[in-house]
Amino acid sequence: MPAGRPGPAAQSARRPPPLLPLLLLCVLGAPQAGSGADTAVISPQDPTLLIGSSLQATCSVHGDPPGATAEGLYWTLNGHRLPPELSRMLNASTLALALANLNGSRQQSGDNLMCHARDGSILAGSCLYVGLPPEKPFNISCWSKNMKDLTCRWTPGAHGETFLHTNYSLKYKLRWYGQDNTCEEYHTVGPHSCHIPKDLALFTPYEIWVEATNRLGSARSDVLTLDILDVVTTDPPPEVHVSRVGGLEDQLSVRWVSPPALKDFLFQAKYQIRYRVEDSVDWKVVDDVSNQTSCRLAGLKPGTVYFVQVRCNPFGIYGSKKAGIWSEWSHPTAASTPRSERPGPGGGACEPRGGEPSSGPVRRELKQFLGWLKKHAYCSNLSFRLYDQWRAWMQKSHKTRNQDEGILSSGRRGAARGPAR
Amino acid sequence: MSRREGNLEDPQADSSISPLPHLESKIQQTHSLARLLTKYAEQLLQEYVQHQGDPFGLPGFSPPRLPVADLSAPAPGHAGLPVPERLRLDEAALAALPPLLDVVRRRQAELNPRALRLLRRLEDAARQARALGAAVEAVLAALGAETRGPRPEPAAAAIAAATVTAGVFPAKVLGLRVCGLYREWVSRTEADLGQLAPGGPA
Repeated sequence: MPAGRPGPAAQSARRPPPLLPLLLLCVLGAPQAGSGADTAVISPQDPTLLIGSSLQATCSVHGDPPGATAEGLYWTLNGHRLPPELSRMLNASTLALALANLNGSRQQSGDNLMCHARDGSILAGSCLYVGLPPEKPFNISCWSKNMKDLTCRWTPGAHGETFLHTNYSLKYKLRWYGQDNTCEEYHTVGPHSCHIPKDLALFTPYEIWVEATNRLGSARSDVLTLDILDVVTTDPPPEVHVSRVGGLEDQLSVRWVSPPALKDFLFQAKYQIRYRVEDSVDWKVVDDVSNQTSCRLAGLKPGTVYFVQVRCNPFGIYGSKKAGIWSEWSHPTAASTPRSERPGPGGGACEPRGGEPSSGPVRRELKQFLGWLKKHAYCSNLSFRLYDQWRAWMQKSHKTRNQDEGILSSGRRGAARGPAR
Repeated sequence: MSRREGNLEDPQADSSISPLPHLESKIQQTHSLARLLTKYAEQLLQEYVQHQGDPFGLPGFSPPRLPVADLSAPAPGHAGLPVPERLRLDEAALAALPPLLDVVRRRQAELNPRALRLLRRLEDAARQARALGAAVEAVLAALGAETRGPRPEPAAAAIAAATVTAGVFPAKVLGLRVCGLYREWVSRTEADLGQLAPGGPA
């Protein structure tokens, strides 16, 4: 609610338009007697003001019916009667109002300031727009789906609260030539977003910015420069299948297909897999799955249902050096590991495993060793895959010996595999 | 001759009217449509006042009842008229409403651009008023009652131009008036069709 005493001299204002313009009167016909229409006018009409500023307003009666005066008139704002000490009669037909330290408008269509006759009937109205000019939008981010379009999102300045309707306009142009273009499809991925569906050039940078405008002014964001190829994302990998790996109770095999829209260009695509136990909300992420369309999850719990999702990052497309943008996750696919008499291990990474699971520290050290080898010894063929294939072979051999001999050889097992559980 | 036809009081009724079951079905369908639109009109009014801010929508709010070109509220004596005459008045009002609702929608698109549901309801209301008006006209034709002659062009274009230049407060009041008239006339139409619908008063 506005507060304060009558301020200095009333704001100077143009002669205000009547409550209904003459044209509307001609269309509507003369006001009917007793309708209360067009018997007074408020000045200023529909002013725009900064939060915290003051307003001097007047309500002037037309003298219809004859002899009408401002005696007994009063003001309301948004339905609340204003204290009489904020009003004073300027003359017999004019009641003045002084509001100070105005708050932001309650609704974007404007605060309803009304002048009432003694009997409460509404003589005139004016809508106040009290707010702030927009601040500079920032944090523009954009992405292109399969190089065909561009979607951008931004954050409004001042956390968006200007109390006035603020229009945001996303502009873009080719960096070295071309005219300014304005995005037309707004609110596609949230209130501050816009989608450019077509006619985008590749291999040439765009300049993108956002302009914010309201009744009190405008502001422009910094310019973002980007090449469409550096912000490409794609669809989630389709046809994700999860299946058991023979009888191995701690592994699942995940296979998928390259996203079809870019499948001919995904030479360096990265994939990520995440999985969780059926009744858990905690996902485990495997993010060292590079440019392959299958993987094994290992170290899983036997007899357990897992949900699995895959996503793709088409980085390096057409030679782009940027990091790329991850797709959405594929729809969850579920599968269960075979049951086992023995309690299963904890979680693991996307690494093929065979035989009994080894302990975490051993695998971490092995992973570090293999990484070092790849870097320094150019043994690119060495991988966990080979290691786990060896372990699978060891397990198979071990089971065969059990069937033949009926006993376990603890010494051999300790030499061929990791520490026993 | 059914009780219903005997109550039409239309001396022009003749044997060229539609077969009775078809007419009954048409009347019932139109009545159901009017009932549905009465509910929508109420929702539109509630949505409208919400976006204009207090005191719009508050009990006791009584803005100037501005006359609207081509349209006034149902007269106090409307319910005493013969049913065909009532339906003619309903149909005329329903034909006048769509351009006025369009004017209100355009102004609200400037005043409340983020009120998407309100704007959609205003657009739907214009379409629904046309549909109901056409259905009432079809009922009148099926009853063999005279329909109105050519109507004058609606003054909506002039109202639209004037509304743009008018202040915001008068525009809010005008929109309230139009939404109120829409509600009154669809409700009136529902009641008038109820006189003809199966199970209605003879």
